[in-house]
Amino acid sequence: MTDTSLLPDQTADAIAPRRRGARLTAMLHRRESLRGYLFMSPTLAIMAVGIVAPFILLLTMSTWTRQGFDFDTTPTFANYLRVWSEPIFGALMQRSFWISGVATVATVLVCYPMAYFVAFHVHKHKMLWLILMTLPFWTSYLLRVFAWKVILGYEGVINSGFLALGWIEEPLKVLLYSQTAVIITLAHAWAAFAILPLYVSLEKIDRSLLEAATDLGDGPVRRFFRITLPLSMPGVIAASFLIFIPTTGDYITPALLGGPNGQMIGNFIQLQFGPVNNWPMGATLSIVLMLWIAAIGLAFLYLTRVARKRLA
Amino acid sequence: MDVLDQLGAVREGKLSRRKFTKGLLAAGVALTTMPVAARRAMAGPEDQPTYFTWGGYDIPELFVPYQAKHGELPNFAIFGGSEEALTKMRGGFVVDVSHPCNQAMPRWVATGLFQPVDPSRLSNWGDVMPELVALDGNDAGGGNIWMAPFDWGQTSITYRTDLVEVEGEESWDILWDPKNAGRLGSLAAGADAWWIGAIKAGVPFDQLGTEEAFEKIAAVMREQRPLIRTYTDDTTTLEQALASGELVAALTWNSSAALLRSEGVPVAFAKPKEGALTWVCGVMIHKDAPKLDLAYDVIDSLLSVETGKFMINDYGYGHSNARSFESFDEEMLAGLGLSKNPKDVLQSGHFQIPQSQEWESRMNELWEQIKAGF
Repeated sequence: MTDTSLLPDQTADAIAPRRRGARLTAMLHRRESLRGYLFMSPTLAIMAVGIVAPFILLLTMSTWTRQGFDFDTTPTFANYLRVWSEPIFGALMQRSFWISGVATVATVLVCYPMAYFVAFHVHKHKMLWLILMTLPFWTSYLLRVFAWKVILGYEGVINSGFLALGWIEEPLKVLLYSQTAVIITLAHAWAAFAILPLYVSLEKIDRSLLEAATDLGDGPVRRFFRITLPLSMPGVIAASFLIFIPTTGDYITPALLGGPNGQMIGNFIQLQFGPVNNWPMGATLSIVLMLWIAAIGLAFLYLTRVARKRLA
Repeated sequence: MDVLDQLGAVREGKLSRRKFTKGLLAAGVALTTMPVAARRAMAGPEDQPTYFTWGGYDIPELFVPYQAKHGELPNFAIFGGSEEALTKMRGGFVVDVSHPCNQAMPRWVATGLFQPVDPSRLSNWGDVMPELVALDGNDAGGGNIWMAPFDWGQTSITYRTDLVEVEGEESWDILWDPKNAGRLGSLAAGADAWWIGAIKAGVPFDQLGTEEAFEKIAAVMREQRPLIRTYTDDTTTLEQALASGELVAALTWNSSAALLRSEGVPVAFAKPKEGALTWVCGVMIHKDAPKLDLAYDVIDSLLSVETGKFMINDYGYGHSNARSFESFDEEMLAGLGLSKNPKDVLQSGHFQIPQSQEWESRMNELWEQIKAGF
């Protein structure tokens, strides 16, 4: 008797979770977006903890003001007004955009032929070629910066080489501690981030389109500008973004190689959190920098879209 | 099962290939993790205290007594300027011992991040020169102090005697001379450079807070900036550049001149006629120091005669232990710009005096803007 009285309960217990599980499966089947979010949940969690939360902190802090050792937490736009009205902040941002803009263009120009060569003219061991090209990037960023210090230095490779050849009387001083030094180093340090997207976009180009262009009478140059370049634009855009965004805020390279005239906004932000001891100002500068990068990025995207329409 | 055993098993066909690969994998994991553990042990294990100090003070020569007692070095964390150090600690970085200078000490105390030092726990305390202990704001009450003095010295010009022509007496003008444009270097921290500006502009240190002082000093710093090749907190960068002739003169501490001279580079550490900048630095204990007993041993080691001899002989700094000076004669000390009586040196120059936090923040803000070209 006791056994039978227990039985219904047991079966109900066993079935309930199965039913619940089934409902979940069915829901996942029906709702594609839910499945998407499920797959993305680890990333979303990291984004929330690692990006959204710090961003909110930054945003809140940028409305505070410094007061001796502490912060005055009454919300105010005083810091933003200062960024707007004092010329130093605008000038440093402009300089940063100029340096990283030149570095971006230089990197893409130098890396495009490399990626082009591997995509079109290498038929065996493509992976090996790519690995060899990106091999320098297996070392630390800091090491690469110091390597450039050795190359560009007063008694560095270039200067001593030129001296030995008798091309110069005394070492060139413009090589190190200048904006040029920062641009050269940034362009080299981020090259891997240009080669890979450029290679992928060039590799994807349908070879029959190139044949068709040749059949219809295009020479190699015209063919490149009418077919290859427009079709590889996504790679060019991706490479430009991947280099421009991080280099604008870079601070190690200008700190080590920039000299007084090569300092960028990243150095100034670091100083706000260090010796200047004005964290709210540092937060404000970071946010303004982000907004500017976003604006420049959008403008760049818009321009490339217009240019593509013109070409098409 | 050891490796040879496994190889034998493979040969005899007893061990499957998969098992052998597994063994290799285990060996690989072991190999990659082992050096990390070993390296950590060398860098300073977790049971050692952390000494947060200036670059160049993280060397075994300063910790001979400590190493003899504990067999290992303390852990080191390095800063380039004391404001940066204070900001890091206010941000939550807990260390055992840190290394400010007299000018910053009252502000460090005001943060509430430090605990008084009990001199009775230091075996070398009896030999410490009392005039270095009696600093503004160093009294923590009950016979305790906030900062145990460790080193003292000057901030002055290290210049190449073969590349700079000095007419008449040495002067701060060397660092403002357009003839040296592009071949001058400077310490980046306002805690040194701004005070030099004050000496150059003729502003007495007790009037640094006035509006006029800020204007005058800013003007001389702006005048100097186009001549400077690099501002850095890294003394090695300045020393290398002086050695190669890239720089002919730079604002440095005693140690740069002493190190360059010992390498045979023709340099002099100037005694400017306007007076050098002088300072006393020392060690403070963090209020939450996780290894308080060892922190006292670190301080005791820094105050020892062995350490003092190295500081004087190799770095050219003054030391706080009177007995450290016994093996040096007056002539040699004078050559290093030192004396057995620290007052002789500290008062011959301009001794730094503590300023308010507001002043410090304002000065640093203005100084960074000037360095950036504004």
